[in-house]
Amino acid sequence: MINYDITPIAGACGAEIHGMDLSRDLDEEAVDAIRAALLDHLVVFFPDQTLTPDQQIAFGQRFGELDIDRFVVPMEGHPEMMVLIKEPDETVNFARIWHSDVTFQERPAMGSILYAVEVPPYGGDTMWANEYLAYDALSAGMKKLLGGLRAVHSARGGYGKAVLNKRYDQTKRSMKIYRDRDHIAEQEVTHPVVRTHPETGRKALYVNGAYTERFEGMTAEESKPILQYLYQHSIRPEFTCRFRWTQGAVAFWDNRAAMHYPINDYHGSRREMRRITICGDQPA
Amino acid sequence: MAFRHIEVKPLASACGAELSGADLARPLDDDTVAEIRRAFLDHLVIVFRGQALTPERHVALARRFGTPERHPMVRAVEDHPEIIAVTKLEHETANFGGIWHYDLTFQEKPTIGSLLYALEVPPHGGDTLFANQYLAYETLSDGFKAVLEGLDTVHTNRAWAPREAYGGQRSIRLYQDDWRALEAVHPAVTTHHETGRKTLFVNPNSSMRFAGWTEEESHPLLDHLARHATRPEFTCRVRWHPGTLVFWDNRCAMHYAINDYHGRRRILHRVSIGGERLPSRTVSPVPKGVAA
Repeated sequence: MINYDITPIAGACGAEIHGMDLSRDLDEEAVDAIRAALLDHLVVFFPDQTLTPDQQIAFGQRFGELDIDRFVVPMEGHPEMMVLIKEPDETVNFARIWHSDVTFQERPAMGSILYAVEVPPYGGDTMWANEYLAYDALSAGMKKLLGGLRAVHSARGGYGKAVLNKRYDQTKRSMKIYRDRDHIAEQEVTHPVVRTHPETGRKALYVNGAYTERFEGMTAEESKPILQYLYQHSIRPEFTCRFRWTQGAVAFWDNRAAMHYPINDYHGSRREMRRITICGDQPA
Repeated sequence: MAFRHIEVKPLASACGAELSGADLARPLDDDTVAEIRRAFLDHLVIVFRGQALTPERHVALARRFGTPERHPMVRAVEDHPEIIAVTKLEHETANFGGIWHYDLTFQEKPTIGSLLYALEVPPHGGDTLFANQYLAYETLSDGFKAVLEGLDTVHTNRAWAPREAYGGQRSIRLYQDDWRALEAVHPAVTTHHETGRKTLFVNPNSSMRFAGWTEEESHPLLDHLARHATRPEFTCRVRWHPGTLVFWDNRCAMHYAINDYHGRRRILHRVSIGGERLPSRTVSPVPKGVAA
């Protein structure tokens, strides 16, 4: 029996959970409580944790099998662990666009768990957006149209050869990306534009500006007006929360119903985070 | 320069800071006012927590920073012509200020700043976003800066035109009977009176066109600017508690009231400080015969 409390931080999504020590072996009751809170709030935060990579991995494994990223070179000895670093002299941050993680995979992530190792005194917040609300707020006509569409996703825009040559060659970056994976970046998958969450049964908008290329069966040019509209719509402030990191904070989000955006407003400061990703199912 | 009377803690990199050490319910000495003003100019949005203000003290506080103006559209609270109540009740769904905007730029003298004080707020939800428009300007390309510096925009009060949404059921009570269209022309890039810094001054809620251009011609640029101006990197998000007072600089910061708290009551009092005329480049109105 543990004593914890859950405090929402905004109207749309996000809640802090106090009273849990994630470095310990949590009992079933705690894991169930976290899973329920995750489904309710889409992203949950645990301030003031102290986690080794092994402890973070063990925590993540309570919620499913861990994914190994295809593009980012992992922490040595821990293939499941992605280390997100921006050094004081770097200006480009990682994944600097609103997105849902790895939607270029046939089975995109169920969720991700991010742990703050070192953060600036201010700046470097992360925002999340609730895509159930984004879907709910569409007109009946638009819902009907989107309900019949699938979209093509690929990693080209993030990890394709052209992008890597342009973005990563010129400066020495702390994030190491594999340079021999262009054939993977070129692979296309399709997902429904509106997905039904496998656990809640709710419908969520499921396109993002990072990896969605076009609607299936249409050209990119034809798809653009609606996709651009949806990218704008899906991140309306009413759907979002914003979390200010402190060292030791953990965020765990439901990648099936939430998008996120790391704010790049901390040039000159160092920020280091560790991420693990839980495998998901095929969107339906 | 260090602060001696107050403590200043930034909320985000772009703008916003929490100030502590000042009890706003009591008259402030000149040194404290000078430090608050400095923090205000540095951070654009300053946040005081745990205050206990009467309406009289709220107005008196605003007077230390300028001359309170009367809202041209919203009815003031009783006995305090300088205060408007920003209210959304449990049964209401529309909120006030739920779009990125500068306040009252359709006036010839746009508002300098507002002091918004929380009386009653939901336990979560109802945050306000602010966006630093110095940064919005500074991050434009040199070519685009040059283009914008040659342009004025026409600001209108069209968003306040009488319509269903503002019917008698709403807590925000407008002066509707004598509504008339107002326009003012301001430069798209202005220079801040006090800091001397250049800032983007285009208001998505009221800049309808560039002076001398049609609305249709203006849309592509205005839409682009609205998106650029509110990039998360330029913003902060302020969470309210009862007793929170936020004072923002309406000359260089836009704001957005997040409407994510249906079913809850939120009541704030606002006092705004009157402005100065901005030097606009385009003196003559749109020529006759040109669609406007």
